[in-house]
Amino acid sequence: MPSSQPITRHAFLHGAIASLPLSLAVAPWGLLAGSMAIEANLSPWQGQGLSAIVFAGAAQLVAIGMLKGGASLLSILLTTLLLTSQHLLYGLSMRPLLSGQPLRWRLGLGFLLTDEFFALTSHYDQQQFNRWYALGVGLTFYVAWNLFTLAGIVLGQNIPHLDRLGLDFSIVATFVALIAPTVRNVPTLVCVLVSLFSSVLFTYWHWETALIAAGLLGMGAGFVCQKLAGARA
Amino acid sequence: MIWLLILGMGLLVFLNRYAFLEPRLPLRLSSNARQFLGFAVPGMLTAICGPIIFLPEHQLDLSLTNPYLLGSVVAVALVLLTRSVLLSMLVSMLIFFLLRSWLA
Repeated sequence: MPSSQPITRHAFLHGAIASLPLSLAVAPWGLLAGSMAIEANLSPWQGQGLSAIVFAGAAQLVAIGMLKGGASLLSILLTTLLLTSQHLLYGLSMRPLLSGQPLRWRLGLGFLLTDEFFALTSHYDQQQFNRWYALGVGLTFYVAWNLFTLAGIVLGQNIPHLDRLGLDFSIVATFVALIAPTVRNVPTLVCVLVSLFSSVLFTYWHWETALIAAGLLGMGAGFVCQKLAGARA
Repeated sequence: MIWLLILGMGLLVFLNRYAFLEPRLPLRLSSNARQFLGFAVPGMLTAICGPIIFLPEHQLDLSLTNPYLLGSVVAVALVLLTRSVLLSMLVSMLIFFLLRSWLA
């Protein structure tokens, strides 16, 4: 339908503009992902490949860290699976909006389904949801992530110890800003505190599985609290 | 080996993202499983942040002058007060880098 093209272009641009602030805020993290890949002796193509193919910041950074520490392929893949399991929930939540789309849209938007994408597109209902808007959001974020990774790779090759500048704080700043508003009840607070304490303790003990173990322990603690509170009510 | 890892990671992440978008998938997550997974975002994201905040450069730092800790406290306060994710990210990053240069 040629008559619908200006509308789709408008929706795409609207999505691209909506995703600009988060796309810019991801800069330090992208720089870190690129420079840390170089620091861990990955080739520039491999560093870029991580961002282009995996497209999951936390998993990329943890995988690079584990590679540096000499972790096995299997343990890195297992960590990746667990670390990105929140995407299962995003998928579940967006199922009413996306499962009715044609296959190529499901595959494309599924690939672009990041924390940020979810935040900007999930609140629409079936009537309001526009797949071109969603594509604009997702692609802009994808391009930004890959450009900042490229910048990190170039800078990482020329400026040694870019990883000592504290760029990793941008992960903390982003995640804290995403986590804190979700702590609205006791079980979630317990989950966060248990996860925080055990992640520091297990990492201090040099457990290879520190992050998974701590995350699952926190999730389990939150879940048990919720069950206990439910049983009491 | 590295490329195998990258492709494997890409496949796993994509499967996580796509799994529930597949219309032919019969939904059989028990309510307990869903409640447990409901804690995935705070649980996993916190576990990623913990060591970055308290073990900078792989050294345990529990002092109150740890810029990562101070920056995180600022970020929590800002996002709870302003409800703006972007503002609290940007301001807490700025404060972190200032603190880091003062306290270094």
